[in-house]
This record gives sequence, C-alpha cells and structure tokens, in this order.
Amino acid sequence: MVKVEDVHKQFGDLQVLKGINFEVNPKEVVCIIGPSGSGKSTMLRCINRLERITSGKIYVEDELTENRMNGKTVEKIDPQKLANLCLDIGMVFQNFNLFPHLTVLENVTIGPTVVKKENAKITEEHAMELLEKVGMADRKDEYPARLSGGQQQRVAIARALAMNPKVMLFDEPTSALDPELVGEVLQTMKELAQEGMTMIIVTHEIGFAREVADRVIFMDDGVICEEGRPQDILLNPKEDRTKEFLNKIL
Amino acid sequence: MLTSAQWTAVWDGTLITLEITAFAIVVGCLLGVVLALGRLSKHRILRALSWFYIWFFRGTPLLLQLFMVYYAIPIIYLESTGSQLNIDPMVCAFITFSLNTTAYLAEIIRAGIESIPGGQMEAAKAIGMTYGQAMRKIIIPQTYKRLIAPVGNELVMLLKDTSLVSSIALSDLLRTTKTMANASGNWLYYLYAAAIYLFLTTLLQLGTDRLEIKLGAYEKR
Repeated sequence: MVKVEDVHKQFGDLQVLKGINFEVNPKEVVCIIGPSGSGKSTMLRCINRLERITSGKIYVEDELTENRMNGKTVEKIDPQKLANLCLDIGMVFQNFNLFPHLTVLENVTIGPTVVKKENAKITEEHAMELLEKVGMADRKDEYPARLSGGQQQRVAIARALAMNPKVMLFDEPTSALDPELVGEVLQTMKELAQEGMTMIIVTHEIGFAREVADRVIFMDDGVICEEGRPQDILLNPKEDRTKEFLNKIL
Repeated sequence: MLTSAQWTAVWDGTLITLEITAFAIVVGCLLGVVLALGRLSKHRILRALSWFYIWFFRGTPLLLQLFMVYYAIPIIYLESTGSQLNIDPMVCAFITFSLNTTAYLAEIIRAGIESIPGGQMEAAKAIGMTYGQAMRKIIIPQTYKRLIAPVGNELVMLLKDTSLVSSIALSDLLRTTKTMANASGNWLYYLYAAAIYLFLTTLLQLGTDRLEIKLGAYEKR
C-alpha cells in the first residue's frame, strides 16, 4: 500500500531522516514509536508530500509518487495521477486543524464538495454516517471552538474519512489532548482498524500500539532501529536504544 | 441655515465623496487580494512586482499621484501622439484612489493571510485541495474577521482623503462648502462639512463594529 525506499530528509544542515525503508501492506496497522526528534512525524508528512524528501523513493499503491535525489526530482510524475494518489491518503494531525469557520458537518463535507465536486446531498448523507461512526452526529451544527479536544479530533478523523482514503496517517493524534480525552479518540481509531483500514500511526501510546498494531517500528535519530510484532518490540526489544526508550516511558 | 440650492450643492458634493470612496474600496479589496497573493508567491518575479507596486503607491503622496494622472498623463499623451486627451476628473479620481488604496489593502490582506496558522493550509492540502481551493475556501474566509478593523481604518482614511480631489476641479463635499465660505466670508459653512464627514465616519465605525462581531461568531466558546 505504501512503500518507502532509502528516504533521506534534510532541513538545511540537519539530517532528519537517514535512509528509511519500510513497507505497509493493505489492512495493516503500523505504529511508529520513538523519542522526540527522531524523525517519526517528518517521515509521515513525507508520505503525503507535506514535506518533500531530499532523496529516495516513495510508492503509494505500487505507484511511484516521489523519486528524488539531492533535493531534485529525478522522475516527474503526472500531476493528475499524483493528485489522485494523494486523495487515497488521509491524515489526522496532532493539533486537529479543523477549519474553525465551518461547522462540524461542513468540515466533513467540504473535501468531497470542493475537491471531488460531489453531489451535495450524497456528500451530506455520507458525512452524517461518518459523524455517527465517530459519535459526533448530534454536534453537527456546532463550530469547532465549542468542542473539546477529543471531540475535535474525532471530527478530524471523520473529515479525513470523507475522502474515502485507502490509508490513514495519524501524526500523534492524542498528544495534544487532556488525559481523560485520549480514550475516546483511541477507541475511534481502534474501530477503524477493526474495519480493515490501513493505518500508519505515530504515537506515544504504547498500550494502544500493543493492542491494535500489527507491527511496531521503533525510530531513533533518523533511522529505523528495530521493527516487528508489537509483543516482540514492546516486551522483548533486542536493541539497547529501544530498551532505553521503553524504560523511560513505561 | 443653508438655502435649498446650497443643500443641493452639498448633497451633490457628498455624493461625489461617497462614490469615490465606494469605488476605491471595492476595487482596492479585489486588487489587494491579488497583490497580497503576489507578495506571498513562490515566484520571485511576482513577489518583486507586487513589492514594487506597494513601494511606489505607499511611498509617494496621494496628491502627487492624483496630479500625475490628471495633469501628467494628458501631457505625455499629447507629446507622444500629438492629439489631445481629455480625462474626466471623476475618472482620474476613481483610478488614483483605487490604485492607492490597493497598495495599503494588499499589505493588510497579506498580514491577515499570514496570521492564519500553517496547519490550516496543511489540513486543506491533506484532503486534496489545491492551493487556490485552500485559499478561497479555507484561508481567506478566516481572515475576514481579522481584516475588518484595519480595513475599517483604511476606509475612514479613504473617505477623508477624497477631499484631495478638490485640487483637480471636482466639487466634492469639502470644495462645495469651501466655495460657499469663500463667497460669503462665513467660516460656519465648514461646520456643515465637518458634521457630514463625522456622520459618515460614525456610520462606518458602527457598521464595522457590528460586522466584526458577526464574522467572529464562530470563535465564541
């Protein structure tokens, strides 16, 4: 579904990603863990081109979306094809980034109406189904400012799902939440995983990773140190750096 | 008190003042958005052009710009083509005030766009919007509330600055009352002008206050 080959990313002189390789299969749930500044979020943002990689290749659904070398594009991809592939990637942000001037319902419908020019009635029905699913249907006419962080994040998940993505990226979706609101968001994500959505999740929620992930990737200092089944990585890590990290946060 | 003929003259003068203000603010807002996007553009040439425009129109006196359009352009035209060009002073006022206001509004709009958190553009792109769609549907609508106060400022200044058109033979509100004061030797005519300017700016101030509350409704917790 998503394949990343020897990806490097540099911000000025700072090497953030130093040769990342991984592949995510359809319906797989992959959690990326690791200390702050290890490049987890940057990796995720490179997949849907919010950041451009310095060099390496990225494939989405076996189609090349990025092929760059030393900050220059090696292989140009047809923009229309690229736009369509990017529509298959949904993203949820740490700070929700809901559109504050739109109601809950409008936040969910604006993607399909503006980008896909879909019929308003069908879009709205679909949006209501999604809001039902994340438990926010009764708040459809509220503005985001009146919602709690957990509620905002659930609307943000519905907004991403409205585009019918094939893979969902989560960038620390619960890090900005008060502790008592984390559970409702994780529950929504768990249900999504059970429905067979392909998910790549950057998270500090080790318990969630153990329960939901098919595979855990531990990143440190711009490289993947270790990856494998959650029980192996989280309970019996082989690498010292993984052990050290888990000791600190558990 | 004013005679009925004088009232008519004051009314006509006020209309000229209002027409120039309304025309300039509408054109200024439209062109201002274009110029603001130019200033924020990735293309160096667009950035430079916008910068140059703003530099010129903010950096020279409005009265000078008015003279250039009214006096200099017909002379340049005459010298280069050999034929006369008569520009209606009202058209000159429309052009000059629009171009000038555009420069100020462009900076206001640019600052407004830059004040919207970067996450908004990212979220719009993440659901597949193009830059243009994100600007039109997500970013620019969020600037409206923040733009009201500075644009209101600009509007009030513009309304008063239109009094400069008296120098290109347009009988706006100020020039009309000045003519009456000069003819009669009675300075009290200026009070009528002051009262009307104050009345109009008060309306603007009250209007923008209400608009700001209305447009910011979604921010209320």
